[in-house]
Amino acid sequence: MAWQRETFKKIKQIPREEHVLPGTTLCAGCGGLEALRLAAKVLGDDVLYVNAAGCFTMLAAYPFTPFKGSWLYTTMGSAPAGAQGVRDALDVLIAKGRLSKEEDLKVVVLGGDGSTYDMALSSTSGAVARKLDFYYFCYDNEAYGNTGMQLSPATPYGARTVTSPCSLQHPAGATQEKKDIFELWRAHKPPYIATVAPRYPLDLEEKFARAAKFTGPKLFLALSACPTGWLYDPGETPEVAKLAVETGLWPLKEAINGDVTHTYIPKRKPVEEYLKLQGRFRHLFEPTVQTDVIAHIQSRVTTYWERVKQTEQGA
Amino acid sequence: MLAIRFHGRGGQGAKTASRIVGTAAFLEGFVAQDSPIYGAERRGAPVAAFTRIAKEQIRERGVIVHPDVVIVADASLISDPTARVFQGVDDRTVVFVNSSLSPQQVATQTSCSGRVTTLDLTEIALQRVGKRGALSALLGAVAGRLVGLHQESIRKAIAEELADLGLSPSVIERNQTVAAQCYETVQPVTIETGVPQPIVPVQLQAPIYEPPTRGTARISAAANSVLRETGGWRTFRPVLVPDKCNGCWLCFTYCPDGVISMSKDDRPVIDYDHCKGCQICVHECPTDALVAEREKEGEVAWRAK
Repeated sequence: MAWQRETFKKIKQIPREEHVLPGTTLCAGCGGLEALRLAAKVLGDDVLYVNAAGCFTMLAAYPFTPFKGSWLYTTMGSAPAGAQGVRDALDVLIAKGRLSKEEDLKVVVLGGDGSTYDMALSSTSGAVARKLDFYYFCYDNEAYGNTGMQLSPATPYGARTVTSPCSLQHPAGATQEKKDIFELWRAHKPPYIATVAPRYPLDLEEKFARAAKFTGPKLFLALSACPTGWLYDPGETPEVAKLAVETGLWPLKEAINGDVTHTYIPKRKPVEEYLKLQGRFRHLFEPTVQTDVIAHIQSRVTTYWERVKQTEQGA
Repeated sequence: MLAIRFHGRGGQGAKTASRIVGTAAFLEGFVAQDSPIYGAERRGAPVAAFTRIAKEQIRERGVIVHPDVVIVADASLISDPTARVFQGVDDRTVVFVNSSLSPQQVATQTSCSGRVTTLDLTEIALQRVGKRGALSALLGAVAGRLVGLHQESIRKAIAEELADLGLSPSVIERNQTVAAQCYETVQPVTIETGVPQPIVPVQLQAPIYEPPTRGTARISAAANSVLRETGGWRTFRPVLVPDKCNGCWLCFTYCPDGVISMSKDDRPVIDYDHCKGCQICVHECPTDALVAEREKEGEVAWRAK
């Protein structure tokens, strides 16, 4: 049976109230901020954000904060460990009666892909294994963005970053495949994992609403189209996110206790439509078209969705 | 020695412009040095870059406090106290401002003591390069002209620096052409060279602190980011054409910064003090009820409070 949204059916159900206020110095047109703002509409204000160093550090750059709630700043590798400390402290205070249950907070880790796929992987693994009751929000812009777009394990094959330039030895740019963090997370069998894209706001809101029902680790992977690093006009952020999903490159899915459901089945446009929009893939089209590289990217997408069709019959 | 200081917003090309001038000077046989300020150089945030050119070895390092030339890529920076655009500017400093206003107008409006010259590079870039923000080659050409570098070396330097950024040959060529036009159009101002700069003892000054309500960090501070206005980041502002709006909420939904709220009758209300001008709302509006209007000094006013 096809996946259905239960809570969020119409766009006008998106809460009007803002929980991430303006005045942050994140780039104009930031796809990550777009996703966080929508997520926060479901998470609310009773949240303690544990931030791994990254672009989102600029959210609460001293002395300003866009949140009504609290903010804890950690190193790139230790945000889930920080979340454990906060969760434990809240639990102890509640158990001792020094904090009422109504004053409890949701603990939300914010991490970029550099942190999530790379440095904080072991600390996330530990936190999930300990069944820590927290949210993990990864804003994935497929490179170390805050330091100027260096290759990260989330960088897809064929993308140009400052440390994977298009060169004579490597005309494709990045030669690695994007690490499948969703599957790495899923191997831990947490109660809830989902991928989201802010261009699909109802899908995103629904997933955060569903996750609230689970106790334990709730992990989110948010596509964060990045005008600064992916080199396109900031106004095209939703268009880029839309094409990422419609080409099948960014599958929208969730996994409840390890069981995967794809929440949206795209008609799968050719990947060129997505690649062509971004400067980081321009070398695949100019001065000569690198057909082999594009064909490789396309074949990975096709293989992925063929497998989905086999494993999720009737989805 | 000539000291040139560039001011811009992250993404406008101030840093690359400083490199273009440095490279062009080097190609002409001068000793050159260029460096940007290291910090959170993200799109829209104020950035600065420095180029020094001399016939002999340059021993000076670091930020340029007494510039001979100041290049301002974004006029809205002048009213931003954190950018300190006119720091160390005296009546001998040549100040270029990317503005549609005349030099006299700019000098009066900003009470700048330097020798002001202007050219509307943003308009030229929009018309000829077709992109907002892509100003590095143009700024480099203007700065090169003001300090008396040759057009050919600027042209070569643009090719070198833009190729380093991974731009395609066609884009580089277009930039070179438009830069050449700017090189010829900008009104040069005499720079007094050869006059030894008197060494002024540097007075230590207490920094200007924000009032405690703004500047003091409190652990209990909440939702105070609205005190920082990001409206000056815009090149274009989204403007509502009320008749065309169908009240669909899409602009409100997709705005990353949450600066669009919906009124009771489902019409978008835009917070221009914070709108960064990304134009997502303009792109996504299904009925073209939001249009982009160019921000211009003197016409549309966003001013830091």
